[in-house]
Amino acid sequence: MGNIIESHHLSKTYNPDTIPVHAVNKVDLTVEEGEFTALVGPSGSGKTTLLNLIGGLDYPTHGEVKIEGVDITKMSENKLIDFRLKNIGFVFQAYNLIPVLTASENVEFVMLLQKTPKNDREKRAKQLLTEVGLKDKLNKRPAELSGGQQQRVAVARALASKPRFILADEPTANLDSASTENLLEIMAKLNKEDNMTFIFSTHDQRVIDKARRVVTLVDGKIVSDTKK
Amino acid sequence: MLFKIAWRNIWRNRTRSVVVIASVAVGLFAGMFMIAFFQGALVQEIDSMVETQLSHIQFHNPAFIDDKEVNDTITAGGAIVGRLKKDHDVKAVSGRLITTGMISSASTASGVEIHGIIPEDEKSVSSVSRDLVEGAYFTGNKKNEIVIGEKLAAKLGVKLHNKIVLTFQSKTGDLTAGSFRIAGLFRSRNSTFDEMTVFTRFDDLAALLGTGNGLHEIAVVLKEGQRTDAVAGALKKEYPSLLVQTWTELSPQMALLTGIMDQMMYIIIGIILLALMFGIINTMLMAVLERQREFGMLMAIGMNKPRVFFMIVMESVMLTCAGIPVGILFTLITVGSLARHGIDLSAFSKALSQYGFSNFIYPVLKRSMFLPVSLMTAFTAVISAIYPAIKALRFKPAEAIHKI
Repeated sequence: MGNIIESHHLSKTYNPDTIPVHAVNKVDLTVEEGEFTALVGPSGSGKTTLLNLIGGLDYPTHGEVKIEGVDITKMSENKLIDFRLKNIGFVFQAYNLIPVLTASENVEFVMLLQKTPKNDREKRAKQLLTEVGLKDKLNKRPAELSGGQQQRVAVARALASKPRFILADEPTANLDSASTENLLEIMAKLNKEDNMTFIFSTHDQRVIDKARRVVTLVDGKIVSDTKK
Repeated sequence: MLFKIAWRNIWRNRTRSVVVIASVAVGLFAGMFMIAFFQGALVQEIDSMVETQLSHIQFHNPAFIDDKEVNDTITAGGAIVGRLKKDHDVKAVSGRLITTGMISSASTASGVEIHGIIPEDEKSVSSVSRDLVEGAYFTGNKKNEIVIGEKLAAKLGVKLHNKIVLTFQSKTGDLTAGSFRIAGLFRSRNSTFDEMTVFTRFDDLAALLGTGNGLHEIAVVLKEGQRTDAVAGALKKEYPSLLVQTWTELSPQMALLTGIMDQMMYIIIGIILLALMFGIINTMLMAVLERQREFGMLMAIGMNKPRVFFMIVMESVMLTCAGIPVGILFTLITVGSLARHGIDLSAFSKALSQYGFSNFIYPVLKRSMFLPVSLMTAFTAVISAIYPAIKALRFKPAEAIHKI
């Protein structure tokens, strides 16, 4: 299997002119297609910053990130937005969904940005929400869904754009055990059956246990990289 | 779907949105009402001037306008009156003699403009016969009757049926005088006119002036006021030696007022919208700053900057434009009702009548103003959205997502 993500000497330093904080410090990381990888580490270890850099949400101070051989750190902001739309799915810790849209409309929204025809959008949104077990919640707005259900909608939305990989930043942080278990099962199933690559940052031991590769960060550096 | 999101976003904070919508509605109502009020007052003023003094078109000997010399009559005036009465555009025609003189009672005297008229013709041209408050608009064929303003009568200390004396210069240049009995008193909307103008029979005045059948003025009222310029244009060509003037030429200040009404409308609405703009900017800015995380998420998942900008502009336009129909409806209902019943300003009647305004103002709503007003409001909404939208575009997704 080929490499989807490659980072070389990736660094992100905040406040470089005053009190520099090396959130990510010369990280070399390679992620292959189909991986189910957890980025772990204590708070402030640089997990979220690394995910942001890999996802093209932020620019590094040094180093490069290549997605399937394309260096995204050289892209303009506008090109990067377009690149994210076509290649990367995101699941955030909270405030994942557009509150004024229904679950189905939230999933459709990314496809709308991709200019997918209306019929195809509706069909795929229904199919994806069914896959994540929300067939009966298509017309519910986020406020009418539980935290776990909202995260499942977010996963369906992330999948809707047919991304090359999905980045999830502490997706289970606000969920109870049952919801966490349910979300992990869905992600694991998508990984196994559709070979979808998942990279998530987490503190959650249950998530770590499910991961097939665990990358541990401390002070912005990778201190261990274990494949199960 | 962007429209749907924008519309639903407006209602996330109902109270705030309702306040903005109400501000726009009230602002537009205030502006349009003010314009309708001024328009109504102006239309009434024009009607009043056309009815009492100007009519639509007037003929004069060109020399008469400058000095009002008794000798400067219209050549073959009677024939012109006869010809005009047959014109299908003309509703009524009245030939007049006009001179200035002194009106005296036993106690005092006052300067006046004396109009010698044929009552039957004048009735259809000017409103004085309808403005009578006492007496009659000349009776039978009695000689030397005069109709004067109620205000002038009070000034002279005379009553109905009292005698007064008119003194003026005759055709030969001699000072001549005639005794007239007051047949009627009138009160028009214009107190200055009431104080300065008196009416006698044409024949009575002509005999004293020595002008025979000569006319100083021919006043023409048309069937359709809008045809004034066209009809006057044709008459000017037909009578090149005479001075043929429309009411706008006779009263350029009124014509100017009419001309600037539209500009005034844009200025008034512009000022109101400028004030509203700050309220809309404030609301939109709050809406954007409150939703930083959401904008961060939207940009993260691939919503590009033009779309973010468009969405914010749409929210602003929808929020603002929701007030337009409310404002227009409120204006239609209010002005519609007041246009029928009038606005009673009798508390200020003295001041108003000095300027020729009626005690009752009937607002006139120009429906053609709705479209430009709506477009101006929508434009204000777009302008108001620019700063908040730029603010949103400056959010960095990675930072915005984690904003508390």
